[in-house]
Amino acid sequence: MIQDAVDPPLVDAGPITIRHHRELLLDAVSLRVARGSLHVIAGPNGGGKSTLLRAMLGQIAFEGRIVLNWRGGGAIGYVPQTFPVDPTLPVTVEDFLALTRQRRPVCLGVSRATRARVGGLLARVGLEGLEKRPLAVLSGGELRRVLLAHALDPEPELLILDEPAGGLDEAASRGLERALTAMKRDSAATVVMVSHDFSQVRRLADRVTLLDRRVVAEGSAHDVLGVAGAVEELPLR
Amino acid sequence: MTSFYAWIGELAQRGILPGDFQYPFLIRGFLCVLVLAPILGGLSHLVVTRRMAFFSAALGQAALTGVAIGLLLGEPLNAPYGGMFGFCLLSTLAMVYVKRHATLPPDTLIGVFHALTLGLGLCLLVLVTRQFNVHQVESVLFGSLLTVTDGDLLLLVAVGIIVAVLLVRQYNQLLLDSLSPPLAKVAGADSAFLEYFFAVLLTVSIVVSLKIIGALLVEALVVVPAAAARNVASGTRNYLLGSVAVAFLAGVGGLTISTRFLVPTGGAVVLAVSAIFFVTLAARAMLKRRSL
Repeated sequence: MIQDAVDPPLVDAGPITIRHHRELLLDAVSLRVARGSLHVIAGPNGGGKSTLLRAMLGQIAFEGRIVLNWRGGGAIGYVPQTFPVDPTLPVTVEDFLALTRQRRPVCLGVSRATRARVGGLLARVGLEGLEKRPLAVLSGGELRRVLLAHALDPEPELLILDEPAGGLDEAASRGLERALTAMKRDSAATVVMVSHDFSQVRRLADRVTLLDRRVVAEGSAHDVLGVAGAVEELPLR
Repeated sequence: MTSFYAWIGELAQRGILPGDFQYPFLIRGFLCVLVLAPILGGLSHLVVTRRMAFFSAALGQAALTGVAIGLLLGEPLNAPYGGMFGFCLLSTLAMVYVKRHATLPPDTLIGVFHALTLGLGLCLLVLVTRQFNVHQVESVLFGSLLTVTDGDLLLLVAVGIIVAVLLVRQYNQLLLDSLSPPLAKVAGADSAFLEYFFAVLLTVSIVVSLKIIGALLVEALVVVPAAAARNVASGTRNYLLGSVAVAFLAGVGGLTISTRFLVPTGGAVVLAVSAIFFVTLAARAMLKRRSL
């Protein structure tokens, strides 16, 4: 059950239990995300991080409750873990970003107003001039930033990022991190992010929840990742 | 329509239009192509993007069974639309439902339906041929301009308009759902609705095209135009325009081949569209080589 209410924290979830074919994916997980914070969910592969995000998005059935205490319009921005693009797909960055920003079918053209809006979004993530580039030829880092641009409009009250730096090299990961830092500076959005990269978590996170199907630790990045040398010892599934 | 055909025929006799337009069935065929190209070409680029090529092939087989059912239920030999619409829509809804609820891969499930409808269709056709000469149902299996009536043309126009209007309203969500269902859901799209919606649009479009293209070959015209356009298109708009242009060229080319060489229209259209596909494939290879 997902409920909307009016009191902080923005996300108040738990205890959440999710089973899939009798396998326990999440075991009584609780998560509280303070408004305006960047909250990272870290943990090993198969630890249920993406599953928890899907529950927050209402895309998977769960036991328990998730309360989203909206103050604004309740807009959610989302960057999925995977976005497979067929190498011959002739959809450009502009077409993709126009899909939810104009009523006119993008196959009949992108309006001038939408074009300006798309240009502004790309500038926010440092991708000026990439409007006409097909999605299929973007690098992994560029594609992630396009997805981030998509998630930033309309201005989200809650931004959910599922391993935004997953599979990126160091340079692309840094580029994305810069875009995230700029976004955090310019926006009041509350961010929930899944990440494997502990050094990045230390640089970005206000709070960290360490998840391995249940909550292993919760606190500041320093407390959780500093104390949990245990982190590196968590079993990889 | 008779006076319209007479007027076109007169223009052909005066040499203003090609000589073939003296014959009403060819004028009707050309008009069908004019309507079919935007419908099937337009749907085609979404079929390929949504990876529904095999689904379309299964629908063609379902239409074959629908023809047999329609004839067995006493529908006219020239227009067993009740059987075709009924059975194809039923098959479509069943395929989408099972695909959404089963854990097997979609192509495996569609393969099951493909085999089932083909087997059922063949058995029923044998029953049908006890009542009709098998050549009388060839027109629906392989497509024939000679059997296309003004009623078929009007049905095609009506369905074309409805499909176009509905598609325009849902296009952006359909495309986003094709690229990333989770993103589409967050944007407020109902993935289940979109899947059923598009499958039904595709089904009715395929059924009204059968008289021209044929049940066994219609899937070619909902897959190959987009495949050809994809070889050379550089944006969604070009992709759509390219798909429609290829469908139109293949239709006109197929008509010409069909009338010149007296072969089934469906087969001729498929030959034409396949030829265009290989030309675009070569063009893509050349462009790629030049850009290196």
